[in-house]
Amino acid sequence: MAQCPCGSGLDFDGCCGPILGGAPAPSPEALMRSRFTAFVRGDLDHIESTHAAEVRDTFNRSAAESTASSVEWVDLEICETSDGGEGDDIGTVEFRARFKKDGELMVHHEKSNFRREEGLWAYVDGKMNPKGKPRRVEKVGRNAPCPCGSGKKYKKCCGA
Amino acid sequence: MDRRFSCTACGKCCYGLVPLTIDDALAHADKYPLVVIWTPVRQGGRSFRITADLGITIEIKKHKRAAVQIAPTAYIPPTLPCPELSEDGLCRIHDAKPQRCRTMPFSAYRDENDQEDLTLPRPGWECDTSDAAPVVYGDKSILDRNDFEIERKQLVRDAAILKPYAEWLLDSVPSLRPELQKIAMKPSGGRVVVGFSTLIPRLPKVDIYAFARKQLPVMKTFAERTVGDPGLVDFHQRYVDGRTEWEKVARPNSGTRAGSV
Repeated sequence: MAQCPCGSGLDFDGCCGPILGGAPAPSPEALMRSRFTAFVRGDLDHIESTHAAEVRDTFNRSAAESTASSVEWVDLEICETSDGGEGDDIGTVEFRARFKKDGELMVHHEKSNFRREEGLWAYVDGKMNPKGKPRRVEKVGRNAPCPCGSGKKYKKCCGA
Repeated sequence: MDRRFSCTACGKCCYGLVPLTIDDALAHADKYPLVVIWTPVRQGGRSFRITADLGITIEIKKHKRAAVQIAPTAYIPPTLPCPELSEDGLCRIHDAKPQRCRTMPFSAYRDENDQEDLTLPRPGWECDTSDAAPVVYGDKSILDRNDFEIERKQLVRDAAILKPYAEWLLDSVPSLRPELQKIAMKPSGGRVVVGFSTLIPRLPKVDIYAFARKQLPVMKTFAERTVGDPGLVDFHQRYVDGRTEWEKVARPNSGTRAGSV
């Protein structure tokens, strides 16, 4: 039994295998994993058949195939998912796919949008190198309790 | 002021870079070394609006934006003639030449009311602007607008592809935005040259393997033609890079093939 290229730790036949064989993906993450595995295996049919309707008109299969075959896929990391549950019709998956091109290790970092079309999850589009949530900078009031937990006013403690 | 102009077929404008419509670039992929050129135009510049409409805008500092022209381009050095310019100074592909050449002396990359300077021959050009030549431009309008209209229509159609392509590449290549910002801030301006292969994934009907087989010999020829010329170092390097890049696509088996599991 071979391990699934998507890095789930499961056997291929118990992971992406059935989805590549035509079984419906139960979630956007499962579809995302199967699409990574398809790129690893050069299975462009699966990539194409899991596109949302509007992507089919703009997808350049030969270019995708050329890219997929010119790199050596290393691994896949799912960073974050949102929605994509049983009652949802949309979902997102943020992932990092690492690959080697000309011996150099590179990362494809994308936040992908998925949509349910006629019951089946489909890839819509993605934002490359998505930015994380902006860090909120909050001011500490001079008379507010000090964030260090001393119980003193900020101005009498760390803010002094 | 009325401007008179008549082409004398001197061939002097057949040198250097030629921005092309996507269709023209693809149709002539076996002749021209193709790249995509990104040129920032600062806010306040005459062509800002039209460039923003046909391309994209980027923020260069707070409340200041630059428009960026995204042009598929025949990357020919200013000192070298178009490969289709024959020894007798005529165009070998006259009936199939790019729309950019047909619209000369006008340009659909600029507003119609901003074309007057284009009717004046550049130094060394032999365009006829005497009283014997017909009036071609008056009251800030082009008299025979046919080719201008055709080129503009194509540029508008291309914009539907080039705008999302540009936003996607800016996200994909993080160094591109700061590079454009730096150029936009410089009074002398400049441009960023990007490989044409970045555009191919956005052109669904183009077979990348067939395209690579057309571009590879062109890049080779231009690399040979520019080798050792100190003034053309940048051009030469681009042709060498293009040659390497298209070689990999044209002969995929020389690289690492996707492994089977």
